[in-house]
Amino acid sequence: MSDDRFLDQLRGDAARLRYEPRDEHVWTRLAARVRDRIARAENVPQMLAGWFRPIATFLFLLAIGAGLTVAWVDRQQPVYAVENIASHPVEITVDGDTFNLAE
Amino acid sequence: MEGILEGPGIGPFLPLARLMFAVQSEVGRTPTETDPIEQRAIAAVKSGDAGSYDYLVSKYMKRVVSIAWGIVRNADDAEDLAQEAFVKAYQTIERFKPGEPFGPWIYRIVTNLALDVIKHRQRFRHEELTDSHPAARADRADLAAGSNELATRIDAAIESLPEMQRVVARLYLVEHFEHAEIAAMTNLTEGTVRSHLSLARAKLRERLADLYGGSHE
Repeated sequence: MSDDRFLDQLRGDAARLRYEPRDEHVWTRLAARVRDRIARAENVPQMLAGWFRPIATFLFLLAIGAGLTVAWVDRQQPVYAVENIASHPVEITVDGDTFNLAE
Repeated sequence: MEGILEGPGIGPFLPLARLMFAVQSEVGRTPTETDPIEQRAIAAVKSGDAGSYDYLVSKYMKRVVSIAWGIVRNADDAEDLAQEAFVKAYQTIERFKPGEPFGPWIYRIVTNLALDVIKHRQRFRHEELTDSHPAARADRADLAAGSNELATRIDAAIESLPEMQRVVARLYLVEHFEHAEIAAMTNLTEGTVRSHLSLARAKLRERLADLYGGSHE
């Protein structure tokens, strides 16, 4: 018998050595386990996203609030300064003469 | 899953029956043939439909477990490895090239996982042996229930081969993969696969001479 023929014949006989489970339900069980693992793996990012989204929203709103407050304070500041000068007139004394800037 | 099995002749009802029909009609194909349902399932999984992965799992599970079992020779380990391989393939499906068959990819993943297990076992055994406590061979083969004496003799002869010769011989003789496929699965060159197989053939021929006749007959 040639080497090739031996290998072909052995290949034909060895095919019956493929795995055969004692319990045919093993395929269903394995498929269910894979499905479960995939679902669990998907749930982790979903859970993180569930926590991250409200925190991110809160921080975003906080940043908007802070930005608006700074802008409002900046806009209020010159008015306040003018009013402050007006209500507290500045007086400068030079050589005994007093000059009032409000006048 | 919805959508991938739609088509003329297949009604919109009984999705499980449709899945089983589709899997049954696809199992006879060789892994390198393009399966349009498989391609649609892969595209659906990539776009976020995890349910479509069931088709791929159903189609390849038996073969994947058989490959793993052939290498690790333990049913529990083989089933765990198959599960691990499918999860790993799912997690990295974005890297999967469109139009390629899923089979060679999942076979490669499970073969590499199984080879890692036997490498780990060898290291573990070596450590035990150096401690003067020979490791018990816990991974007894779970031969098929219907195995006869011929199958048992062939199995024993393959198992007596050195590690990589054994793996290559099993993938070629039992799982009926071709040299190029085995090379892709084991990260060996095709030449190395042929070399392992040639050495394995010589030893198997010698050990099974009473069944198949010697090399000079």
